[in-house]
Amino acid sequence: MSFNHLYHEHGLALTRRHFFQAGGNALGAAALASLGTGVLAADNLGGKPFNQFAPKAKNVIYLHMVGGPAQMDLFDYKPMMEQWYDKDLPDSIRKGQRLTTMTSGQARFPIAPSKFKFSQHGRAGMWFSELLPWKARMADDLCFIRSMNTEAINHEPAITYMQTGNQVTGRPCLGAWVSYGLGSLNRNLPTFVVMVANPTNTEQVQAISARLWQAGYLPGEHAAVPFRSRGDSILYLNNPPGVSSAIRRRTLDGIKQLNEITSQSVGDPETLTRIQQYEMAFRMQTSVPELTDMATEPVTTFKLYGEAAKKPGSFANSVLQARRLVERGVRFVQIYHNNWDTHANAAGRLPDQCRDVDQACFGLVQDLKQRGLLDSTLIIWGGEFGRTIYSQGGLSKQNYGRDHHPRCFTMWMAGGGCKPGAIYGETDDFSYNIVKDPVHIRDFHATILKLMGFDHERFTVRYQGLDQKLTGVETARVIPELLA
Amino acid sequence: MSLKIPALATLVVLGSYAGLGAAAVPLEYNRDIRPILAENCFPCHGPDSAARKAGLRLDRGEDALKAGVFVPGKPGESHLIERVFSADAKQVMPPVKTHKVLTAVQKEVLKRWVAEGAGYQLHWSFLLPKKPVLPQVKNNAWVRNPIDRFILAGLEKAGLSPAAEASKETLARRLSLDLTGLPPGSSMLKEFLADTRPDAYERFVDKLLESPAWGEQRGRYWLDAARYADTHGIHFDNFREMWSYRDWVIQALNANMPFDQFTLEQLAGDLLPQATLDQKIATGFNRCNITTNEGGAISEEYLVLYTRDRTETVSQVWLGLTFNCAVCHDHKFDPLSTKDFYSLSAFFNNTTQGAMDGNIKDTPPILPVPQRKDLPLWQAKVRDLEELNKRLEERKVKSKGDFDKWLCTAKADALMDKFPTKGLVASAKLQEGKGQKITFKVNGQDRVIDSPDIAWAKAAEPEEKALQVNKSGAITLDDVGDFERDQPFSFGAWVLAPRQPYGPFFARMDVPPAFQGWDFWYENGKFGMNLISSWNGSAIKVLTKAGFNPNVWHHAFVTYDGSSKAEGIKVYVNGVPQIMEIVNNNLTASTRTKAPFRLGSRQAGDGLQRATFHDLRIYNRALAVEEVAALGPAGKLAALIAKPAAQRTPAENNQLFDWWISTLDESSIELAKKSAQLDREEKQLRSLGTVAHVMNEKPETAMAFILQRGEYDRRKDKVSPFTPQVLPAMAKDLPRNRLGFAKWLLSPEHPLTSRVTVNRFWQEIFGQGLVRTTGDFGVTGELPSHPELLDWLALEFQAQKWDIKKFFKMLVTSAAYRQSAQISPEKLAKDLDNRLLSRGARYRLDAEVIRDYALASSGLLVRKVGGPSVRPYQPPGVWEAVAMIGSNTRDYKTDIGENLYRRSMYTFWKRAAPPASMEILNAPNRETCAVRRERTNTPLQALVTLNDPQFVEAARFLGERAMRDGGKDFSTRLDFVSTCLVARKFTLKEKDLIQNEFQELLAYYQKCQEDAGKLISFGDSKADAKLDRAELAAWTLTINSLMNLDEVLTR
Repeated sequence: MSFNHLYHEHGLALTRRHFFQAGGNALGAAALASLGTGVLAADNLGGKPFNQFAPKAKNVIYLHMVGGPAQMDLFDYKPMMEQWYDKDLPDSIRKGQRLTTMTSGQARFPIAPSKFKFSQHGRAGMWFSELLPWKARMADDLCFIRSMNTEAINHEPAITYMQTGNQVTGRPCLGAWVSYGLGSLNRNLPTFVVMVANPTNTEQVQAISARLWQAGYLPGEHAAVPFRSRGDSILYLNNPPGVSSAIRRRTLDGIKQLNEITSQSVGDPETLTRIQQYEMAFRMQTSVPELTDMATEPVTTFKLYGEAAKKPGSFANSVLQARRLVERGVRFVQIYHNNWDTHANAAGRLPDQCRDVDQACFGLVQDLKQRGLLDSTLIIWGGEFGRTIYSQGGLSKQNYGRDHHPRCFTMWMAGGGCKPGAIYGETDDFSYNIVKDPVHIRDFHATILKLMGFDHERFTVRYQGLDQKLTGVETARVIPELLA
Repeated sequence: MSLKIPALATLVVLGSYAGLGAAAVPLEYNRDIRPILAENCFPCHGPDSAARKAGLRLDRGEDALKAGVFVPGKPGESHLIERVFSADAKQVMPPVKTHKVLTAVQKEVLKRWVAEGAGYQLHWSFLLPKKPVLPQVKNNAWVRNPIDRFILAGLEKAGLSPAAEASKETLARRLSLDLTGLPPGSSMLKEFLADTRPDAYERFVDKLLESPAWGEQRGRYWLDAARYADTHGIHFDNFREMWSYRDWVIQALNANMPFDQFTLEQLAGDLLPQATLDQKIATGFNRCNITTNEGGAISEEYLVLYTRDRTETVSQVWLGLTFNCAVCHDHKFDPLSTKDFYSLSAFFNNTTQGAMDGNIKDTPPILPVPQRKDLPLWQAKVRDLEELNKRLEERKVKSKGDFDKWLCTAKADALMDKFPTKGLVASAKLQEGKGQKITFKVNGQDRVIDSPDIAWAKAAEPEEKALQVNKSGAITLDDVGDFERDQPFSFGAWVLAPRQPYGPFFARMDVPPAFQGWDFWYENGKFGMNLISSWNGSAIKVLTKAGFNPNVWHHAFVTYDGSSKAEGIKVYVNGVPQIMEIVNNNLTASTRTKAPFRLGSRQAGDGLQRATFHDLRIYNRALAVEEVAALGPAGKLAALIAKPAAQRTPAENNQLFDWWISTLDESSIELAKKSAQLDREEKQLRSLGTVAHVMNEKPETAMAFILQRGEYDRRKDKVSPFTPQVLPAMAKDLPRNRLGFAKWLLSPEHPLTSRVTVNRFWQEIFGQGLVRTTGDFGVTGELPSHPELLDWLALEFQAQKWDIKKFFKMLVTSAAYRQSAQISPEKLAKDLDNRLLSRGARYRLDAEVIRDYALASSGLLVRKVGGPSVRPYQPPGVWEAVAMIGSNTRDYKTDIGENLYRRSMYTFWKRAAPPASMEILNAPNRETCAVRRERTNTPLQALVTLNDPQFVEAARFLGERAMRDGGKDFSTRLDFVSTCLVARKFTLKEKDLIQNEFQELLAYYQKCQEDAGKLISFGDSKADAKLDRAELAAWTLTINSLMNLDEVLTR
């Protein structure tokens, strides 16, 4: 038996720990496991069966609006509030619930009705604020949840909760779970990509951090790879100045030859893996420039997404990039768009915020639909919490501020097997408490996993002696009304 | 002190059934049974009382026996066995819905266990280590020290023999990397290779142990565990200046501080009798946790999180227990209850540290750490200052008579006479109280401003309205406040600051990054001013020393004398001149800007949210102290003076007195001046040093609340500091505080501290611990590969008085360590993961070591130990992508010069965006305690070592040295390079391959000189112009390839 043959088998097993799957098979962990490489399945998935249903969605594009969009200024229409202008929020509504220390000291909680006009669209009659004309046009493509809720009242824990299922940092995020469970669809690109879009208005940009796209207790390669709008699109992707691709290829061949000698003499399977990783690095170097080159997009693309899509780093540019990534087999794309934290000047800032995302989202959904990718791509839009109906700071008919509000907020999804044109959940007249069909973050996560083909109860990984799951220890439920 | 053992653990002595049944080796509960029960049964029938089903506990023999689930010796009569073997889906255990399935073998093992008497044992790691008998081995000649007996016994049992000893070159490289994190220097290597004395190896080890790099290498691992970083972590993620702690760790390890002392000082240095400054710095260990200052955060919620983090960290590091499960519920597997956790947490719940870090670099409690040489002088200044301040206090008491005399004659009118009108260039009452209009008086003319962003709030006193700016920066005046730096001017108002870390009340200032202009600044409760030509190369910034509460009305006023010096700025709060802190003082150029005067902001949108003010005034001269007083509190004071003395309340008298003593009493003013001078000098000395974040106990007795589900607002019972029940109890004479706790950890009766520590040390040298789950010695952790060896090492470490260097020397002088890493098919089959150590350990280097290796082997490394963290190369945008606007760690400014070439442990660690190349290479994120590093093998890692300027520049630098010092021909130059890179000469075959590549590259760069030029000018240092650029380019890229070899990246 030749040495190398033996090692190759171990090498294959070892590559489960790596960013891309081994060899010429563009296979994810799930696919490999289903081929009966038992070691792999057991190791990857804690010995549990998984991918229990045929997945509806193969890919996810998650658009996170950092800061918490004001649901009553965008989706959750509350006409009765007109009569409540500058009146105090009734105690019967607030129910002594905790507030952030930014407004808990306020003497009054005066109601600030939305200054924006609303109209109904689509077969289900969803309400849209005048700030979202493009979204209104595709009401029948979207699936709305008006009854999202969380316990977190501040950004850091709230975003962490939304992304990882726990307020305390350290758990894997949704994208990492999906990468871990489903693996890669391509040989040249990462499985999970994150982009941080630049908002046009930067009045109250909130902090985010690399911990939001981390792998937690999952193997490190399931963390997202940032795609950047400044410098190298992937960190260190470009060769040093004066080193062409051909020259780099020559040196990689040199490295390979010497590493093969090491492999022969030492016999460590890890050396073979390293050889493969260097080859993959080179493939990435050659495929990414093509991917990020927007020049190949026709004029119609920019008509669809808006002119802003030409500007590197803009939200529109990022979602267009997301489509290109998904087309090329990237499993999960996470985009952050900032500056939704409207403690003050809500009326002045929301138009800027909506202008950044409205047409771009329309473009993305329609583009995927035209390309036949919408059915297999789940788009998620939303923030980490909602905002208060009462004004923070000064109130006028024309302007107001709104504090964080965890008890209800609106999110929407599109494609990927979710129900188009659906509206789920209802809030009270103050958009303060949920009166029907609450959806907690963990229910939301359970539903997303279901769309990806996972039973959230059984999609677990063993860590610190426990079968950890995205939805945590409390009961979570899949919301059947959100499924197509 | 006695160890508590559940009664039944001794009820059946394991092993007493040896010989019964078919099996030759009797089952052992810890080895054979507990893993099966823990995996399949304990989640519902274990320590967690909340999750327990049918009231049945299987983790404690006593309970299981009482419940009658088995009859020892009679599997046929045991329910447990019946249920496990049941074919009925409703009956079978574990239940179908748990998705847990026992294998046929596991079922048989359980059956046999019951047949053998169903013996229990306390979990192995909770039992005291026992001194094992050194195993007998066949190949005695191989044994160099006792470690080898244990390893060899394991190998012989598996039918394997150890690998041959590695070459001297390999060993030199391995030792150097393990003990110092750096490759061996060429001369040191040469010396070692030439040294034929029998103890050459030991001498080489000793030399490495004496290197300052030893403390850096060991310290690096320790700092992973301590979760050390240079920012606070949450939200603003601002700079935290605590590198004095990092340097303490390095120094302590270099001085070979015994591990017990190392433990005591870090956990309780502040509580030691006559604690030294160093011992207090050591307590920084418990100050490394992430903290927040997010607006809106609820303090109690974060205080609970901080205490939890400290408790979990200490548990992981010293106890090797994952306590975090017990935060919410009794541990599912380990006998650790929620009460245990909160009782343990009480030790760490008594600090004076607040919930909010203030976004400042020195969050209290802190201590100044002057430079070593300044220490005595600084201490003298502190003493003098105390003395002076005492005299000031005395004067306060003695001056009552003078004050009364003044009060008798003081006239209210006289006070108001000082009300200044001269030079008033802009003012606004801001008391319209309604509508969207305000009136400014500019150079005597009224100017009405109409803005939707005007709102009105109530001013506290007198009962008037005040302006609240809704949208910061929306209200502007083009022609107000246009001053040059040589013009004196004054400004101020009655203000109510919002609860916001910082921002301007008003300003005339240009956009970043220059910030040209001036502002009226508020920062963490302090009032101040910026006067800027270009931040911060030509700018003044001052702040009041004292802080003032937000949401309280103050009259705040600033005067500037046109001197272009920070000393020329005075700030008054409620008429009282303030002692100032100078933050920046190097203004040399014009401060005029075309930007307008803005209320509440320096530029639109960036400012104090909802700052509230009235009576805003700007003068074109520096007002005198009494004039400012007249503007502010004078009106009120005048009214007080006018009041008949009998009607004044004591509080009102105090107000008058405070004002009088700070503005009119000459003795006090004189003393205050001296005090301010001394204060400046003391501060000056202090500013040359750094600070230490320390632990400081509250005077109250430590306590904590048990929290339902770990939620801060669901308090249950109050608990006192106590150690976990399952471990030996604290001795009665130990204090119930961190010091007592630390001493408890170190007592000889403690089963965990030494085991956990030696296991971590083992991991640092052999790549994996004897217990691979380094941070989990509990039931769910892995069992040790060599339990007797672990016990022997744990006892030996204590017998050697916790001597760390001696311990490592023992590890690296073993024959086990000296084996070659070569793998045979047989070993791969029988010992895939090298758990038996059938060969030398081989694994990829840590992130920091990979970078340090490139720097050191090339000769670029700057070997300065300690000091402030540095900012080497990092691609643009890594910080900016995630940081908040206003965070002081938003803009990554790459250093120049030697800071680019320091060891990686000195790289500035921003928690929200760790150093990019380090993160890709699996460095932990330093947010929480990490006692084990992950090692992946990814294409992104390849891109770092191929393309990062740090590596390319290092390759070029080594190329230059090879061309200068490596002889004339390719072969000798390559020898020079390979000695630096892999501590050996390449074989002829390897040389041929490398030469082919080199020649091709050379041909290319000779043809494309421009590319050669580009390549060799990558990086901050300049290439040697005397060398042929094409040849240097070819060497650069050849060495760049070699630095990417598996052999280089692996140890």
